Amino acid sequence: MADYDRRNDRRGGGGHYNNRKRRYRDDDDQDQRGPRRRFDAPPHVRVRKGLLAIAENPMRPWHEEVQSIANLMTENYDDELLRGNFVDLVLQLALEQPLKTPFTAAVVLVANTNKPELIDTLLTKLAGAIEARIAQGEWRDVKLYLKLLACLQSMLEGDGVFPVLEELFSRAVDLQTASSDDTIGTELVKIILLTIPYVMAAVSGNAAQKAADLMDKTDIIASEPHALQTLIDPYHPDVDEESPTASMSLIGLLQKQLQQEASNGWELKCLPRPWKFPLEDIEQQTKLDECPKHALPTIKVPETVVAGPRPLFPEVYFSVYAGQEVESVPPTTDIAASLVRDALLDGINVLDFNRHAVARNLIELDCYFAPKTFAARATPFDRLRDIEPGKSTWKPEDVAVDAVFSQLFQLPSPEHKLVYYHSVLTEACKQAPAAIAPSLGRAIRFLYRNQPRMDLELVNRFMDWFAHHLSNFGFTWKWTEWVDDVALPDLDPSKAFIKGAIDKEIRLSFAQRIKNTLPEPYQSLISADTEKDVPDFKFATDDVPFAKEGRELASMLRKKVAEEDIQPIIDRIQSEALDRNLDPLVTSTDVFVTAVLHMGSKTLSHVLAAIERNKDRLLDIGAASDAAREQILDSVASYWAAHPGVAVTIVEKLLNYSILHPLTVVRWALSTSAGRTTGESLARGYVYEVVFNTVVKVTSRVRQLVSAPSPAAKTDGDTAMGNAVDTSGEAEVRAMRDLFRGIEDALVAWAEGSKDEMIEAELGEGDGKSERDRLVRRWGTRWLRVFRRRAAIEEGFVQEAERKRALAPPEAVEAPGKGETEGDEKNGEGDGLDGIE
Amino acid sequence: MAIVRNTVDRLDKPSAYFNSRNKRRRTDHRDEEEPQPEPADDPLKDATTLYVGNLSFYTTEEQVYELFSKCGEIKRLIMGLDRFNKTPCGFCFVEYYTHQDALDCMKYIGGTKLDERIIRTDLDPGFEEGRQYGRGKSGGQVRDEYREDYDEGRGGLGRAIQSERLRETERRDHDDGDYGRLR
Repeated sequence: MADYDRRNDRRGGGGHYNNRKRRYRDDDDQDQRGPRRRFDAPPHVRVRKGLLAIAENPMRPWHEEVQSIANLMTENYDDELLRGNFVDLVLQLALEQPLKTPFTAAVVLVANTNKPELIDTLLTKLAGAIEARIAQGEWRDVKLYLKLLACLQSMLEGDGVFPVLEELFSRAVDLQTASSDDTIGTELVKIILLTIPYVMAAVSGNAAQKAADLMDKTDIIASEPHALQTLIDPYHPDVDEESPTASMSLIGLLQKQLQQEASNGWELKCLPRPWKFPLEDIEQQTKLDECPKHALPTIKVPETVVAGPRPLFPEVYFSVYAGQEVESVPPTTDIAASLVRDALLDGINVLDFNRHAVARNLIELDCYFAPKTFAARATPFDRLRDIEPGKSTWKPEDVAVDAVFSQLFQLPSPEHKLVYYHSVLTEACKQAPAAIAPSLGRAIRFLYRNQPRMDLELVNRFMDWFAHHLSNFGFTWKWTEWVDDVALPDLDPSKAFIKGAIDKEIRLSFAQRIKNTLPEPYQSLISADTEKDVPDFKFATDDVPFAKEGRELASMLRKKVAEEDIQPIIDRIQSEALDRNLDPLVTSTDVFVTAVLHMGSKTLSHVLAAIERNKDRLLDIGAASDAAREQILDSVASYWAAHPGVAVTIVEKLLNYSILHPLTVVRWALSTSAGRTTGESLARGYVYEVVFNTVVKVTSRVRQLVSAPSPAAKTDGDTAMGNAVDTSGEAEVRAMRDLFRGIEDALVAWAEGSKDEMIEAELGEGDGKSERDRLVRRWGTRWLRVFRRRAAIEEGFVQEAERKRALAPPEAVEAPGKGETEGDEKNGEGDGLDGIE
Repeated sequence: MAIVRNTVDRLDKPSAYFNSRNKRRRTDHRDEEEPQPEPADDPLKDATTLYVGNLSFYTTEEQVYELFSKCGEIKRLIMGLDRFNKTPCGFCFVEYYTHQDALDCMKYIGGTKLDERIIRTDLDPGFEEGRQYGRGKSGGQVRDEYREDYDEGRGGLGRAIQSERLRETERRDHDDGDYGRLR
């Protein structure tokens, strides 16, 4: 065990003997009863503490802090534990707290002036770690280690980090020449371009020629729009518009920003330079300037580089504060936009295991950049215009919030579950409400204004986040701002957003509560049915056909009578249906399913138990006819119409039982239900949700099967969609393709306006009809883009998995029980991070 | 093999409650036996279940589903019930299909609000029959017996305190009556 302060710690968690009492829980590690003994922690603990907290205190000058940690280090240099820990911790911090990298690098630089021999150990480990991560395709780690190395450029012999960057670039060229769809090369260029500024800041622009040469080369790749960019553009403009982010490819912007910096003599104003000592400390500065130089151990880059465990996509720069009259975030022409964003994103995505720390870093982000990069914290937006010219108007809160939103709105998907980014925003808002809440408000207004031209998947993410966020803050929002939109038709995107968001709020709370938070005009959007705890049973009165049978069935189900006692009633319904010229099975299915649902109306547990009990009959219904199977879903949707969230959950479970098929859901949503409403249901959030969830369920199953073939595939009946599994997942892949084809066919008709219902509809005349048609076509087009993207990405995944399987040595495939995938190698040793043996 | 400690704490670790329960059990035998080495198999290493605490008595299964589904599909949800009334008593068990979903839930949902209350999540080795009931004397959770603060979402004051007060009032009424009669 390398760490001193864990010696007393028996389970590796809390570390106190007496932690059963809540009031002691927050005490320090060395918690002892009685007067506290004055106790100086051993040097390696103090060095650790110093490094972990470096730059966090804005009152402490950087050079002092750097100097004191470096001194502590060199004064206790004989302590072997300290030396080992120091090296490991510097490397670990580079990965876990990238905002602090320039500061830990400064400590290393100062330590180098006293104990250069330690630096060789560090460089060897660092070079080894970089090499290992390159081999694994852990590109973010590569980037973060290179950032550390770049900050150390001034003590490296020769060209230092440049040869590594050039080597990486040559791989990028090969990949890009081989295929225009390549994304690894794009990622490599991004890493190179993000490393250059740190090198230049470290050597005060002394390597300008080297940088210029490299940038001349990257230009071809960076300036060319990527083939996949339209697929992942957050905006989805209407036919006659252009996407605001059409020219916002991340590496394209970076290339331009760097060229701009180069022509300004590499000012790089936003980057901190904690290795610069003030004039009164000229002695230390001289030492740094004349420090011992080290040769960087060779870092081998394999001939073929791999994509690693996370699929790579080109990135687009997205900002919710674009186009304001006063710049509250760095403009896209400024290198600060890319550098600050990149550093924040790494911090957010690496530390997903502690959102409190992430939120704190975001709120205090100005500690980690050059002084005067930002305006004072919590400056209200309206006061930014009063800031005198020449001073920064960048609001740190806006920059922080913008970074989180860029992840929430990342296509095809961000690194972590969306709810993580929700939790970061919630946490930031909790820690600094006065600063963060107004920034969020402005972001919400921007998104609301722009959502009609945004990608539909992102609009639904926005809706989901918005409702979830409000649920954490008493459901308070200035709804009066949007009051005019309540009167819009349901097909209007703004109205659709309002309705969807209110539904999601109610799901997390209850109707009456939400009603109380809404201004009067909105109240009519919450139907009386929504306020009922249990939906009405349509067979309760004799107004509808088969009411008597419905009631009878319900009471039999409640009494849990035997299966054969139910059949006579079903038969009766069916024969009467025949007399009325109705489909007998469809008719009896509606009565039966509605009765089952009514039985289970009290809670989800009740309805799931009711479904479980009647599973066989439901399966038989589906097996007998597609129309009847679709009727099961239609009955669920109509019984729970006022609480679509419940319907969505029930559908999920029915899919697990294979009572419904994925294609049933698609047919119901995109043909039956959309047809019945002449396209209007395409604007309903829950309809999108039920189709989207179904697709996710199918595709994640396929991913699981194709990436972990045969033995590792779970075969217990517990897994979602758990029926018989064939080893290679071929059947599943085929079913997935059929599903996407079904979606495509249904949506194309809506998008092109060729759907029968649209042509025949007699809704309004002339302009009214054509306006309505335009809206429906637009919804069709938006849906289509979401699911075409999904289809393309999943197809890519399947093909990549097949390719890997074909390449894999036969014994790896045959080794049963191992089930190792590419990702498993991630935990391998050899990167030297495990420290002392 | 040393496990490298993260530079900031992790939120997906079991709580002090779970650890102390285990620890207590271990220290019971300390006098008789040599201190046992750390048990090799951590009962939570593949845990897919979470204990969820500090719910309002009025929070429904549907609300729990809505929030907790954000971390992955829910395999099973068991609402905590009052042992006598069989009404919700402010906790539940959420079971996911994967360990990762449960960890993510610890990190992203534990400590946030549901139904406007901060909820607590803890990794759990798995639901067993009987655990759905409160273990307090009056049927609810133990913490709701002697709670001194008034919590509207959890039945007001602690139940033991409530019944104590009730007895006191009755006694006083009774005494008053006696005095009246004497006069």
